[in-house]
Amino acid sequence: MKRKLITLRRLTISGIQNFFRNSWLSVAATAVMIVALTIILGAILINVTARNAIKELSKDIKVSIYFQDDVVQAQRDKLMVSLKANKAVVDVEYITREKAQSRLKQNQDDGFVDQTLALLGAEALPESFDVSVNDLSRLEEVGGIAKGAEFKNIVGQGEDDITLGKTRSKDTIDRAASAQKYITLGSIIAASIFASVSVLIIFNTIRMAIFTRAEEIRIMKLIGATPDYIRGPFIIEACMYGVIAGLLSNAIIYTFVLSVGSKLSSQREFAETYALFTSPNLVSAMIVGGVLAGILIAILSSTLAMEKYLRLKKW
Amino acid sequence: MILFDRVTKNYPRRGSAIENVSIHVEAKEFVIIVGPSGAGKSTILKLLTREEKPTSGKIIVGGVDYEHLKDREIPMLRRKIGVVFQDFKLLPNKTVFENVSFALEIVGHSNREISHTVPRVLEIVGLSGKEHRYPLELSGGERQRVAIARAIVRQPKILIADEPTGNLDPGHAWDVIRVLEKINKYGTTVLLTTHNQDIVNRLKRRVITIKDGQVVSDKANSGYKK
Repeated sequence: MKRKLITLRRLTISGIQNFFRNSWLSVAATAVMIVALTIILGAILINVTARNAIKELSKDIKVSIYFQDDVVQAQRDKLMVSLKANKAVVDVEYITREKAQSRLKQNQDDGFVDQTLALLGAEALPESFDVSVNDLSRLEEVGGIAKGAEFKNIVGQGEDDITLGKTRSKDTIDRAASAQKYITLGSIIAASIFASVSVLIIFNTIRMAIFTRAEEIRIMKLIGATPDYIRGPFIIEACMYGVIAGLLSNAIIYTFVLSVGSKLSSQREFAETYALFTSPNLVSAMIVGGVLAGILIAILSSTLAMEKYLRLKKW
Repeated sequence: MILFDRVTKNYPRRGSAIENVSIHVEAKEFVIIVGPSGAGKSTILKLLTREEKPTSGKIIVGGVDYEHLKDREIPMLRRKIGVVFQDFKLLPNKTVFENVSFALEIVGHSNREISHTVPRVLEIVGLSGKEHRYPLELSGGERQRVAIARAIVRQPKILIADEPTGNLDPGHAWDVIRVLEKINKYGTTVLLTTHNQDIVNRLKRRVITIKDGQVVSDKANSGYKK
């Protein structure tokens, strides 16, 4: 056990020495990996931000179902059960006449509302259900439930009696959701390209290091070094690229989050994302994830180079 | 200690390097293998260190039958055999001390063990005081003695010296041979290949002559004539 620890310490020192010995190659390999990891972490950030913003804005868009006069509680409950049975429905809120009036007053000039109600009578505003959904593409499906024959007697059948959200807002959010899909796809492609370039550059860096140390490796083999002892410094060197790139890419992402995100955090649609990305748990997860992704790329590329050029299968 | 039983090694393009070679070397023996270039001397040494596998025949070294030796066991085998090369194979960017300690580092010796063992071995090969020199600052004979120190620092049972005097002038060549004799006196089996007729004749040891890949003579206290 003691010998293994001594060996591990020596391999680590040797790997670090190799990293600094090939400093220019190391900088190039690390820089490309920083770009790859920043794109990967940035893609995660953009996607979470877009998803949360869309979710927040979607809360404003509801299906409003207006009741005919004299609908009783049991009839309303029956419709509520049918609506809630649909998986897209998040919540159903019952809006009484009084609530409808107070909402109207909030949005309009008091004098105008009072005059209107005086003309039409206090019973002019109908009772309704405001139905929240989790998928905007299913607004019509949810609205269709109230249009069913069994609710014909309780729900008005006019065009305005079932409204499927504010049309303009919905269009904007639909475009944002569509853009989010393209951003995700673009991020995956860019991250894959840079991760592949990163693998190739580390592969070449390790290959050069193997060529530089060819004689030393041959002597090591002849005097009884094990394959793991020969591989060790190269793995450590490559892992250093991964660790440094993981930390620096997180530094770039968090500089952005803290500078731009703090300004946007006062807006409702970004507040949740900012709180999420600055929570200690997620900060730790992002750092650990970035470093692990870097190490994974490094181990993959250095292993490929060693398999091809170290020739450890022939002793 | 070393047994070659009807060993043949064929290369796909070069043909047969050695054919039906049988050699038996006892523990603590000092054996010289002689023969012209291309006779098969180096092939025998490469078979011993398992750099090459025989095409046929049996090789047993220190009780280990190479036929049953797995690849992952080769490093352990090589730790029991010290090897000295004609071209020294020292690492130029490491000092004398580091070149020798390298052999102990790879098997996990502590720094304390290394700092205790290496100076003693350098004393045996006559390099005390030159620990901090680099190989390029040494003469050919001194470099070869560094290589010998590296080969014996783990106290192997067998020391293989492949033309260790090939690149040295007669004075330095004898320095190296005397070190090898000293190591043999301590109980290490020494296998030496050489072209040097003078060394063979003056050493008066067992001489195995190889020609065209075959053993043509094997005599104790013998000499050699090219």
